[in-house]
Amino acid sequence: MSRHLSGFRAWMWQRASAIYLAGFLVYTLGYLIVAPPLDHQALKSWLGGSGMWLATALFFLALLLHAWIGVRDVILDYIGPAGLRLGILAAVFLFLLVCGLWVLSILMGVL
Amino acid sequence: MNLIRRNFDVLIIGAGGAGLNAAVQLAKADMRVAVVSKVFPTRSHTVAAQGGVNAALGNVNDDSWHWHMFDTVKGSDYLGDQDAIEFMCREAIPTVYELEHNGVPFSRLDSGKIYQRPFGGQSRGFGKEQASRTCAAADRTGHAILHTLYQQNIKARSHFFTEYFAIDLLQDAEGGVTGALVMDIASGEPMILNARATLLATGGCGQVFRTTSNAHINTGDGMAMALRAGVPLQDMEFFQFHPTGVAGRGMLITEASRGEGGYLINSEGERFMERYAPGAKDLASRDVVARAIVTEVREGRGCGPNKDYVLLKVDHLGEEVVAKRLPGIRETSKIFLGVDPAFEPIPVYPTAHYVMGGIPSDRFGRVVAPAHHGPEEVVQGLYAAGECACVSVHGANRLGGNSLLDILVFGRLSGLDILEYLGEHPRHRLTDSSSEERAMARFQRFDKAGEGIPVAELRREFRKVMEDHAGVFRTDEIMREGMDRVRDIRSRLEDVRLADTSRTFNTARIEAFELENLIDVGMSIVTSALHRQESRGAHSRPDYPERDDKNWMRHSLYFLAEDRLDYKPVRTKPLSVDSFPPKPRVY
Amino acid sequence: MEFQIYRFNPDIDQEPYIQSFTVEVERGMMLRDVLLEIKRRDESFAFRHSCGEGVCGSDGVNVNGKNQLACITPVADYTDDPVVIRPLPGRPVIRDLVVDMSDFYHQYHAVDPWLKRKDPVPEQENLQTPEQRARLDGLWECILCGCCSTSCPSFWWNPQKFLGPQALLSSWRFLADSRDQAEDERLNDLDGPYKVFRCHTIMNCVDACPKHLNPTRAIGHIRNLMLKKSV
Repeated sequence: MSRHLSGFRAWMWQRASAIYLAGFLVYTLGYLIVAPPLDHQALKSWLGGSGMWLATALFFLALLLHAWIGVRDVILDYIGPAGLRLGILAAVFLFLLVCGLWVLSILMGVL
Repeated sequence: MNLIRRNFDVLIIGAGGAGLNAAVQLAKADMRVAVVSKVFPTRSHTVAAQGGVNAALGNVNDDSWHWHMFDTVKGSDYLGDQDAIEFMCREAIPTVYELEHNGVPFSRLDSGKIYQRPFGGQSRGFGKEQASRTCAAADRTGHAILHTLYQQNIKARSHFFTEYFAIDLLQDAEGGVTGALVMDIASGEPMILNARATLLATGGCGQVFRTTSNAHINTGDGMAMALRAGVPLQDMEFFQFHPTGVAGRGMLITEASRGEGGYLINSEGERFMERYAPGAKDLASRDVVARAIVTEVREGRGCGPNKDYVLLKVDHLGEEVVAKRLPGIRETSKIFLGVDPAFEPIPVYPTAHYVMGGIPSDRFGRVVAPAHHGPEEVVQGLYAAGECACVSVHGANRLGGNSLLDILVFGRLSGLDILEYLGEHPRHRLTDSSSEERAMARFQRFDKAGEGIPVAELRREFRKVMEDHAGVFRTDEIMREGMDRVRDIRSRLEDVRLADTSRTFNTARIEAFELENLIDVGMSIVTSALHRQESRGAHSRPDYPERDDKNWMRHSLYFLAEDRLDYKPVRTKPLSVDSFPPKPRVY
Repeated sequence: MEFQIYRFNPDIDQEPYIQSFTVEVERGMMLRDVLLEIKRRDESFAFRHSCGEGVCGSDGVNVNGKNQLACITPVADYTDDPVVIRPLPGRPVIRDLVVDMSDFYHQYHAVDPWLKRKDPVPEQENLQTPEQRARLDGLWECILCGCCSTSCPSFWWNPQKFLGPQALLSSWRFLADSRDQAEDERLNDLDGPYKVFRCHTIMNCVDACPKHLNPTRAIGHIRNLMLKKSV
């Protein structure tokens, strides 16, 4: 992990992802309120549209990145011993990776 | 006891403006410099200087160092040494530029140059129009300068002994200074610091008085150490009372408040300084304004329920000027008086502020004292700079804005002169064992447990005596009584006992050492003052109301041994220009 | 009024304890006056103080959980008995209210807090407009009392690695100075996971600063400048 990725870059990605997450949430919630899909089929086709599918995939990518940076910051603050810190970081990373793969498999399903 | 001994090229005691400016010159020249300070350097009292530093930069209107010199000589009531004054006023200009280059955040004029404000006692054309000579960083100039100097020392990697208290100087058999015995406050352990040259830069002694603008740490430690090493103190009768202290509390309201256009009024709403100084009015010299305020109050024209202060008005300047130019005193007034000077006048009364006298030194910072063949023989290995020294550039009364200048110019110069001295003196001198024993005896002085007088009690009594008997107006009778009482207090110091003799960060022990220093310095003040039978500058005697140039245009020297006094002539010959002969001093 | 004071003398005590004092409060009294009164009664009580007017920065203490400068904190601000006075949090206690501030000073030293110039030294002053100078207001007034950094959770966790609000304020003081010519160097030194980016904008520092300075804003300025430089 380069020094840059852990300091300024990380901070910047956290902010950038936060903006995307907020934008996506506003849009989807607005859509679901204004024109809610009436049945499962409608929902699936809405999500399966190429633009929406890509945006959703990006949403989860941004979410995972955001979560990783945030949780890593907390661990850097509170967990001092290097071994313990590395272990917990690895566990969090694995957990997020599994979540990511799971999301991917679901998204592949709606295609 | 396993006494730690360390060797340095230079030992600097005190980390205010003078000590730090000397240290940075030496550290930049790769000397091994030990700076000993009883507080973290930026807590030294230079930090509290408000108004600014004088230099004839001419940024606001025409100016010259020669006019600055005239004002300083006149302000000193002709007791200042004119060679040193010329030197300081010339050096002022490069000194301020150097500060700016080192990062001091001076306030600025529209031209981008350093902002300069008018201050008391300043004139152009040898006593004509008001000058604007005081370079300022808002009203926190000392803070700006001290922090910058500390930063320069971090850069130059000076060696700091922070929170170490200097117990006493060490000397060789001939009286030359070889270093000092110090104490690590945190652990309470002693340590010997040997050095080829030692600079005393311990600042003032305002704590001798009860009401003072000076900090708790300003206890004249360096002066008292010099006294105990056999060096006299010069002109100690001249103690400046700043006209505008916060009434009843003592902290300072800067002269800049009057420089920016503020003025004083009495209970009748009269702008009374017009009577005392028709020309300069509220910007007359500090001794003049302080006496005027005390006189107004004595004659029943004081303000408030007890009629014991006057009012300083700056509210007419408008909130914007107060916020921009006087933010520090606005904060102080709000906190301590609940008064916002932008809208209401500030209750003020004179407060003990600055000692013009100190350890006699020449313009290179070398300590000079009578020994064998004259009044000004150099004490080998010992330097002094800043408020603890008496060069003498302030004579009987210091001008506002000249104290920062004094510490910076002579701090710097003593650093440079020490460099030369080190070149000529490559080896450490040998400390005389009796000198070390004396210092160790002092270090152990307050180890005795048992019943006795508490430090705080004697300290309080002493400061009250000094205030009552060596204040703004001094008569023979008042001072004689004062001297007796200080003698009595000095003898009772023997009975002081600490309730707690533990080692770790024992502040009571430090205060006991400080009390001893204060009493020695206080004795020098009352003794010198009693014997000077004239009124000059800050020394005002109703029983001798006139200045007496025939008998008293000379410096007094007080020696601790037998409370002896000696005198030496004023140096009236400047370096390159004509002397300013004594004239009546009117503003 | 009752004051509960944290006491600990390592020469005598095994454990720190709280000692209670009742002090008659007079009008206009500051907390420092209370501490001095307690010291008058019990000279073994240790605390740092000097100027008494809030410029030397010696007497930072923790009062009812908030860091304050004792000398400019009116006792009248506290209406409820008792007032609890403890040393600044997160620092090793030397004795009573005296703490070891070494880490704090090291972090200050670590930001190269001095003006860096590359140009030749001019004969007179470097010029600076009043507007350029005004950018330094709210930055240079810092008195190094440590109230901010010792109230910062990030500094509590990583006092040897995180610069802390004080040092970052000082860093921005030089970055914001039109005379300083080491912007890239300073920004490079500030990057990395610990120096600036341990700040989580908790803003305890802003709340604690007795001089009403705003380190969080200064940190924001540093980050924005980094952002500007990176795009």
